[in-house]
Amino acid sequence: MAKPAALWYLRAMTLPDARISDAELLTRMQSFHWWHSIALRPGLTTLGGKSMEILAQEEDAFLAPFDLTGRSVVDVGAWNGAFSFAAKRRGAARVLATDSYTWNHPVWRGREAFELARAELGLDIEAKMIDPPDITEKLGLFDVVLFLGVFYHLYDPLDVLARMRRITRQLLLVETHQDLTNDARPGMVFYPSDILNQDATNWWGPNPALMLSLLLQLGFTRVFYRDHPTLGRARGVYAAFTPEVEDSLVRGFDSNWLDLDVPGAIEGLLTP
Amino acid sequence: MSEAELRTAVAGHRWLQSLRLRPDLVTPGLKPEAQLKAEEAALFDTLNLKGAHLLEIGAGNGAFSFAALRRGAARVLATDHLAWTLPGSDALSATQWAAHALGAGIEMSPLDPRELTPRFGSFHVVMATACFDQLFNPIQALRGMRSVTERVLLIETLQDGLADARPLMMGHGQVLPIGGPEGSWVFGWGPNLPLMTQLLTDLGFSRVLYRHHPTLGAARGLYAAFLPEAPDGLLEGFHTPWINVTSPQAA
Ligand SMILES: C[S@@+](CC[C@H](N)C(=O)[O-])C[C@H]1O[C@@H](n2cnc3c(N)ncnc32)[C@H](O)[C@@H]1O
Repeated sequence: MAKPAALWYLRAMTLPDARISDAELLTRMQSFHWWHSIALRPGLTTLGGKSMEILAQEEDAFLAPFDLTGRSVVDVGAWNGAFSFAAKRRGAARVLATDSYTWNHPVWRGREAFELARAELGLDIEAKMIDPPDITEKLGLFDVVLFLGVFYHLYDPLDVLARMRRITRQLLLVETHQDLTNDARPGMVFYPSDILNQDATNWWGPNPALMLSLLLQLGFTRVFYRDHPTLGRARGVYAAFTPEVEDSLVRGFDSNWLDLDVPGAIEGLLTP
Repeated sequence: MSEAELRTAVAGHRWLQSLRLRPDLVTPGLKPEAQLKAEEAALFDTLNLKGAHLLEIGAGNGAFSFAALRRGAARVLATDHLAWTLPGSDALSATQWAAHALGAGIEMSPLDPRELTPRFGSFHVVMATACFDQLFNPIQALRGMRSVTERVLLIETLQDGLADARPLMMGHGQVLPIGGPEGSWVFGWGPNLPLMTQLLTDLGFSRVLYRHHPTLGAARGLYAAFLPEAPDGLLEGFHTPWINVTSPQAA
């Protein structure tokens, strides 16, 4: 359930001149636990679990390969919204940020933190409280679907990946924790309780062969892969294209990316 | 139905299972009669099926449903998804011929186990052979099967990742003689024992028993998962080589 937006926030939205002071903003920033480090004003950056430097490298790896101008984007599992904000700043016509788990979490209070950042940055971004397993085609079709850091948090990622396919018009970007990465055969490891990084919300570690197989079965016709820009093979990034994709979205993927759906590509990822 | 008609029907269908319809007439199926018999004994000799209501998922040509009826089940509902619904599939028609030839009063209905909910009804015994092998999403299918199980869920499945102590499953593709004339490529999974135990425990099964496949060894596994409501007596027939693999979590 969506928490009612705080009154100050509604006021800030409706009365753009009701700008709060730096001191007041800092107090509000400090009342949340942040995942993303986001510069809200000069000298005022949220203290996220992910640093600005890492986020900058991720943004560059995930979003720089294609031109977002005029595109529609949905960010599934947006948390504090760093990638939603980045997509908007890179020219996306429409950006929808969705989340549920951290947005409703009593400690993370992610929705309120997201709202603070959105209001402060003044970006025209939509938000919707929805859990990935509840997403259907009713959400709409988006040129680009961002599914970053969510796959491995799902008990049933197979169902949710199929749901992501149904809302993707052109490109689905998946970033995930990986395992069995030196196995050419498709597979995924299950993590009971909190054995992966002492985090009970981590469930599965797939390998590249599996991600390729799943994405192709879901009707994506091309799949590009790259290692995570800072964490290497431990996490992978997949760009999966529908048959309807415009060439301009595919062209910019450079040599950091590997065409995964060609013979020998998976074997090429193995270390002897 | 004349004998000639039956023989024509047998010749005119692709068969997934080798069923003995007459003393001298066995359908030429993918799975040999001896393997089916061994699996039937391994799964059903353990339980008294008299009067039971049984739901079979992925029945193929119905071998296990026919066996359950012979063993006294009061109601048998045989279902299949891909093999009975892919365009060009003739497995349901083949199964109807087999039921007719055997005089077996089973119900038959195409069904995707992912769509099962308690509204579908409930069955004392729910079973699936070649279970994970042919399911894109076994997590969801197991949840569906659980939702209609009253006492025990019986599973026979491909296995993989047996050298790893961690729960995992490996993807497998195979071409099956279903759908169009060339057959269909079907994706599925080979789970290992730790994963099966974990998934079944997470679904609320309080006791899980396991044995290797009677003829193919550890490459395939048999599981019997019991709900807390199942009377203790139900477990009495599960002798060696069945072992208790119940997770400490479930106790
Ligand atoms: C590691 S964060 C990723 C945030 C952001 N997309 C990024 O890449 O930085 C995981 C996100 O998945 C969401 N999520 C969705 N379903 C979840 C679940 N079942 N358990 C935990 N997190 C879940 C969380 O709310 C959170 O926003």
